[in-house]
Amino acid sequence: MLRYLSTRLVRALLTICFVVTFAFIILRLSGDPALLILSPDAPPEAIEAFRKSWGLDRPVWEQYFHYFAAIAEGNLGRSMRDGRPALELVLERVPATLALTIPALILKIGIGIPAGIYAALHRNKLADRLTMLFSVAGFTVPSFVLGLLLVLVFSVNLGWLPSGGQDSWVHGILPVITLGTAGAAVLARFTRSAMLEVLGQPYIRTASAKGLPWRRVIIDHALPNAAIPTVTIVGFMVGSLVAGAVVVESVFSWPGVGRLLVIAVANRDLAVVQTILLFVAATMVCANLTVDMLYGWIDPRLRTRRVAGAG
Amino acid sequence: MTETLRRPVSDRPLLEVRDLARSFQVRRAGGWFGKAATLHAVDGVSFDLRPGRTLGLVGESGCGKTTTARLVLGVLSPTGGEVRFEGEPVPAPGTAAWRAMRRRMQMVYQDPLGALDRRIPVGIQVMEPLAIHGIGARAERHARAMELLDAVGLGPSFFARYPHELSGGQRQRIVLARALILDPSLLVCDEPISALDVSIQAQVINLLLDLQAKFDLAFLFISHDLKVVRQICHEVAVMYLGRVVEQGDPDQLLIDPAHPYTQALVSAIPVAAAARRRPRLILKGDPPNPVDRPAGCAFHPRCPAATARCVVDTPVLKPMPDGRIVACHVAHGEADSPRLAA
Amino acid sequence: MAIVTDNRAPDKRAPDGDAVTRERNQAPAEVSAKRAPRGRLARFFEAWPPSVLLALAWIVGMLFIATFVEVLAGYAYTAMDLRARLSPPVGWGGDIRHLLGTDELGRDVLSRLLYSIRMSLLIAFFGTLIAAALGTFLGILAAHFRGWVEDIVLMMIDFQASMPFLIIALAVLAFFGNSLILFICLMGFHGWERYARISRGLAISANEQGYAGAVRQLGAPAWRIYGRHILPNIASTLIVSMTLAFPETILLESGLSFLGLGVQPPLTSLGNMVGYGREYITRAPWIMLAPSVVIILTTLSISIVGDWLRDRLDPTLR
Repeated sequence: MLRYLSTRLVRALLTICFVVTFAFIILRLSGDPALLILSPDAPPEAIEAFRKSWGLDRPVWEQYFHYFAAIAEGNLGRSMRDGRPALELVLERVPATLALTIPALILKIGIGIPAGIYAALHRNKLADRLTMLFSVAGFTVPSFVLGLLLVLVFSVNLGWLPSGGQDSWVHGILPVITLGTAGAAVLARFTRSAMLEVLGQPYIRTASAKGLPWRRVIIDHALPNAAIPTVTIVGFMVGSLVAGAVVVESVFSWPGVGRLLVIAVANRDLAVVQTILLFVAATMVCANLTVDMLYGWIDPRLRTRRVAGAG
Repeated sequence: MTETLRRPVSDRPLLEVRDLARSFQVRRAGGWFGKAATLHAVDGVSFDLRPGRTLGLVGESGCGKTTTARLVLGVLSPTGGEVRFEGEPVPAPGTAAWRAMRRRMQMVYQDPLGALDRRIPVGIQVMEPLAIHGIGARAERHARAMELLDAVGLGPSFFARYPHELSGGQRQRIVLARALILDPSLLVCDEPISALDVSIQAQVINLLLDLQAKFDLAFLFISHDLKVVRQICHEVAVMYLGRVVEQGDPDQLLIDPAHPYTQALVSAIPVAAAARRRPRLILKGDPPNPVDRPAGCAFHPRCPAATARCVVDTPVLKPMPDGRIVACHVAHGEADSPRLAA
Repeated sequence: MAIVTDNRAPDKRAPDGDAVTRERNQAPAEVSAKRAPRGRLARFFEAWPPSVLLALAWIVGMLFIATFVEVLAGYAYTAMDLRARLSPPVGWGGDIRHLLGTDELGRDVLSRLLYSIRMSLLIAFFGTLIAAALGTFLGILAAHFRGWVEDIVLMMIDFQASMPFLIIALAVLAFFGNSLILFICLMGFHGWERYARISRGLAISANEQGYAGAVRQLGAPAWRIYGRHILPNIASTLIVSMTLAFPETILLESGLSFLGLGVQPPLTSLGNMVGYGREYITRAPWIMLAPSVVIILTTLSISIVGDWLRDRLDPTLR
């Protein structure tokens, strides 16, 4: 078990290094940040001073080294717009985002998993058809369209709920519903197929053939096995708690990390963008690590074997 | 081997295998952190095969038969020893010289369905080796494929069929036709009939014998079935954990096995006539993991006749008075210490 | 090989890839024997469910629009008519000159919609194509060389699969700025890891025990093994995956364009139309509703067809 965990840990660190390198490479490839930030017709002294203060005048490998060192210290640069530390800018937006994504995650799990299980147990009945219809709709309706439709109905036509802003919890209702619906649909579809897969296995037939009550078969044998693939999806959802609301935050003008990212991208505020990129990567890696540990706990077979790509 | 020594020098063996060895670096269970170990899949195997003859390789799964076959074909590079085919060393896999050598040595597989491409009519697949080696125009290739289909006992109507439309025996015939279209002199057969029904097995064996006579083929015939080997082979080598333990005439081996391992294999063959029934020798346990090859004679932990010498001293292949060669202290009467068992 | 082909339960079929050929060869006889009393129409709808037919019809319609947009559109997508700004669609008080009304600059929504359909389909098509080519290439590379090449490809797959692609896309757009070509290439990086996984897995198994190993043993060069044997054998799986990935690419494109970071004006795409139309959601909701409906119906249609294709061609992907 310790060996399994240390393998995972090495992989997680590698992924982080990969992201940092990725960020550094595209940062270098994207041209001269000095010219991007200051306009090309800025005075040469100003450009020179800018380059010095950002360390852009040193050789590339040295920049790469410094870049790693700086990130290890938590120094992710300053926003090129207002000069505040990028990390600070990002961190102060996190609570707003979590205020949307955590309730949405609860909604997704609370609706998606039971719906998927129910649909699988009542295959080809009306409930199953309805669940699948809902899940297909959740998959094909983009979140910005869903959000705007909700605004159109509940804000514009009915006037029940506010269409944007973050003044009270009421403002969060529409964004949470928008986020939760799509995720619940995906989760329902996934849980259903995982359950169907498990229900078709010989050990389920064996369990029910040996006279175990159907309820016990489901609880003791089917659910734990169906949980294995489902945990992956949930892990991915947990990992995207920080940045999973980019579009929805924009639709509802919610001042979270996602909105910050969109504005930073539009303004090409590279320090903020890379901070968010690294922040998201770190969250994803932590979530994946947790999922891996859960796997080890749920499925002892995986403690020694590498998880084959579920293609 | 002793037989070949008596023959005139001009009649060179088609295939000469000398001290062939192949080891793999493996990790014991535990992923990245498992201990590195060396697996000796094949360890010092030597034999000769003359044109038009058949040598059988027999043993339990994991004894190195298939690895030997892959080494002979050059699909795998040996870590020791050498393979000479028609007097030339077998080149490294993937090189132009290796590809050219494919024309002279071919392979037949255990699973004929897996060895055929499901989306291509079998006739086209029979023609494919000619296309790969750029032989003949399309019309000639087609005519040649028809000849081969006929030679393996399938009519021209089979040309346009797909693999899944054929029976197991028919598929194996297609694989044979594809292997023979380049007119090779050596055919390596890796358990060619073990996936077939018993009734079909006999047909395929007869076909193999016909083809051998017709095309003057040499077979390296790998099997775990001693009875089949007796029907088809001129010589048999019994392998255990990467080494040959006994080699000689198949009738001799079957009637009077010298090595205790061969004795056990022979006693496992079911016999119909009650009069010929022999006491059954049942081996203790599984073959050991080749990574943990026992010291001395590798067979001693399972051997009913093992002596103290067998534990420390590895026996070498030596000729018996009747011509066959055996690697066993007991069989050669050299076991100077008492038995371990019982 | 007695296999019962039952069209109603496609997922119960043996998952061994030759279901199509087998079906072609065996199904007619069995179907006619088993279902003789049923009408031809019923049998037709069993093979081609109405939902699939509708979806196919919608896709064909979209392709038709994308091809002949110059002829179909009554106006250029930039043509402004300042006297008829925010005019509602026909049926809501608008007149016949602008069937779906006009936007804040008096541009004809229908004409812009038709041009947007072409733009979104083109981007999604090329994006999916690039992703499939890239992923298949890397997957086969990994399967061919194994060793450290494979390790690197696997690491890239892990990385790609563990990061939300929207974030990567936004970062790239921030660093490189935006142009249509760059944007299409970016879409080409979406989902490549799925093709890489599939092609790597199938190529490895084919190389290790199957037909590919046999052909290699015959002396075939690598291009022949992959080009003639492995690719045709995995093509149906890859095509099904492409069909399933296509709607995702449309959604990604429209999402980025909606955020104002994808297709840039004066060019127009479906997401871009929704993004600019939302400003007028109270006064002129038709500007954003028309492209929204097209996005939903198109992704829905392609998903339906993709699921249907998967069930028919490759039940193993399920």
